[in-house]
Amino acid sequence: MNALKQVIAIAKREQKRMLARGIYTFCMVLAPIVAFLFFTTLMGEGLPADLPAGIVDEDNTATTREVIRNLDSFQQTDIIEHYPDVASARKAMQKGKIYAFYYIPKGTTQLAISGKQPTVSFYTAASYLIPGSLEYRDMKMMSEYASGAVGRATLYAKGYTEDQAMAVLQPIKMEMHAVNNPSLNYSVYLCNTILPGIIMLLIMQVSIYSIYVELKEETSKEWLAMADNDIVKALIGKLLPQVTTWLLMGLFCLFLLYGVWKFPLNSGIWPMLLNMFLLINASLALGVFFCGLVPSLRWALSLATLWGVLSFPISGFSFPQMAFPEPLRGLSWLFPLRHYFLIYVDQALNGLPLYYSWLNIAIQIAFWGLPILVLQRLRKFLLEYHYTH
Amino acid sequence: MKWLRNTIEVWAYAMRAALLDEGVVVFFVIVPLLYPLLYAYLYNNESVREVPTVVVDNSHSQLSREFTRRVDATADVQIISHCQDMEEAKEMIHRRDAYCLIYIPKDFEKDVAEHRQTVVELYSDMSGLLYYKAVLSSCTEVSLDMNKEIKAQLIPGATEEQISVFQYPIEYKYVPMFNTQSGFASFLIPAVLMMIIQQTMVLGVGMMAGEEREKVRRGIASKWIIGKNPIEILIGQSTVIFSIYVMIAVYLVCIVPPLFGLIHIWRWQTLLAFMVPYIAACTFFSISLSSIAHDRESFIIMFVFLSIPLLFASGISWPASNIPIFWKGFSWVFPSTFGINGYVRITEMGATLEDVQHELNVLWIHTIVYFCISYLVYKRTYGKQLWA
Repeated sequence: MNALKQVIAIAKREQKRMLARGIYTFCMVLAPIVAFLFFTTLMGEGLPADLPAGIVDEDNTATTREVIRNLDSFQQTDIIEHYPDVASARKAMQKGKIYAFYYIPKGTTQLAISGKQPTVSFYTAASYLIPGSLEYRDMKMMSEYASGAVGRATLYAKGYTEDQAMAVLQPIKMEMHAVNNPSLNYSVYLCNTILPGIIMLLIMQVSIYSIYVELKEETSKEWLAMADNDIVKALIGKLLPQVTTWLLMGLFCLFLLYGVWKFPLNSGIWPMLLNMFLLINASLALGVFFCGLVPSLRWALSLATLWGVLSFPISGFSFPQMAFPEPLRGLSWLFPLRHYFLIYVDQALNGLPLYYSWLNIAIQIAFWGLPILVLQRLRKFLLEYHYTH
Repeated sequence: MKWLRNTIEVWAYAMRAALLDEGVVVFFVIVPLLYPLLYAYLYNNESVREVPTVVVDNSHSQLSREFTRRVDATADVQIISHCQDMEEAKEMIHRRDAYCLIYIPKDFEKDVAEHRQTVVELYSDMSGLLYYKAVLSSCTEVSLDMNKEIKAQLIPGATEEQISVFQYPIEYKYVPMFNTQSGFASFLIPAVLMMIIQQTMVLGVGMMAGEEREKVRRGIASKWIIGKNPIEILIGQSTVIFSIYVMIAVYLVCIVPPLFGLIHIWRWQTLLAFMVPYIAACTFFSISLSSIAHDRESFIIMFVFLSIPLLFASGISWPASNIPIFWKGFSWVFPSTFGINGYVRITEMGATLEDVQHELNVLWIHTIVYFCISYLVYKRTYGKQLWA
């Protein structure tokens, strides 16, 4: 019972310290909430619609105007301007006004009617990957459609039915099924991992700061004395108010993703609650581990920062991990966010039974073992090390 | 000329202080040197190749085998297994052995022979958009080729040209401009480079200011400040930061991109005229922000995570045209938003200064506004006790 009292006393002391400094409120409450709202509302549309595009219509016939009207009615494309030639459309692209333009050369309609196969073309600014590829999709579809329309008209004139015409024009057809994210919602892709990632980064940094700031302010001995110099009790007491706050932030994050924005949650909420719980604890464990590894606030923080920022690309939610160089693929096992992402894919996205994720769950738990390796070292630092200003 | 001597004196002291402080050196030198290399290494492959894919071929025909063989031969897809049924195929995807599935129906060959349209179904694991893209584009490409050959048999005796006209009465051509490979590194690295300049500067300057503040609290303010006018201190210190970052920027924009084969089609005059206001804006932005640094380390935990939202707010990923107006306003506060957009268009799209006039104007406005804020900050910090 005495141990419990000590832990509670330390937790109360920590709570007071946290409330007294704005930096804790900023990093543990304000920053995550603003970041969550930022990402979810930034990509609130899911798939960006009405992206600015241009037209160069040198032919300017009733047919080409019809094609342009059709293209404009596509969901991702919004034709904002007509340009007299390719050079000025290209200039508009360099100025950042449009992401793509469609070019119909003079005589296109005439050539098409007389069966001479004219060529139209479309240009996208591929440096802007997302809008570039979305407008590419619309413009390609439009081109196929325009070409198909002419072909169908020819076949109908020869007395083909619609089915027969399609069988002639496109004998083999591809049909894509985007299971569990049929609208290709970008917010689902990115927010599901970026939001927990921000929690992970801040957990590591705040935990290290909260431990080593005691050294800097020469209060570490006082802190450990409250636990009879037992590092385990001292750490549990100190981290208790932090874990509580982070769990609340984690709940808020899940509520935002699956309650407010209704992202795919095919597993039910429980596996994701477990996933968030594991991520928060693994990140804390990593924070404490870095403290024991390098006995300096700024170096431990730098290490956590490197690890935390690297977590985002290496977890593979945007650029798939299989395209990374081999050594980095191995390294990714050491990042809690990577396992969070894989558990999320199995559970919330694909709704698989929990045992498919057992390995990732086991590794998240194994992170808890890391601090044990450095506890005595950390205790020594906190009791004997003198901060040099 | 006392002010000049004072300013130079501040410059010399501040330069030494920055380079002797290992914490500051980490952010001013080590991170900018190593981080881009790490990122470029990470994304060196540019795009996903040979996505492991399984096939359920219920047709078991010569035509279906031909289709599968050709898909396997594409660069983006690799057929790793033929499954008996959908259950077996799905299980392989669940176990992450495969990411895509191609389903060929029983009547595939029969339909084609009897002039009925046949549908091949494609499934992709939606954990990554690039798997989806790989399987869809590879299979579409193969089907277009095969369709052409099938049609050739429909019109016996037709020439190549006649078939082509029949296939596409209007031919179309796609021209990706600037990032012709649609590579991931070419898309992300330039933005990351600009972000590194702003963020490491904020952290380093925040650390220096925090150090000063800690010293003031302990009553041991740096001696070299005594007798200096706030404007002299500001100019001296900002010149230190500026000159360090000019060297960093030369490394980031001249050495890193060619090292990793990224596109760099800029003229040096354009880039120089753009980078100078960007670095200046970042310098005074960092100094203004550093007024809230309480101690050496607080900026690290307050501003590192911000890099991620700021990267998105720049419009490099989610398009700027679709960023809600409120967040757009938020993004205008940061030089990185304009630095990234201008830099990407100059280096990747060959934009001229005139094309990035808007970004350039804002960066100069940032420089002036943040200079004024910095001056007020310095006046408040150093004006009272020390300016005698």
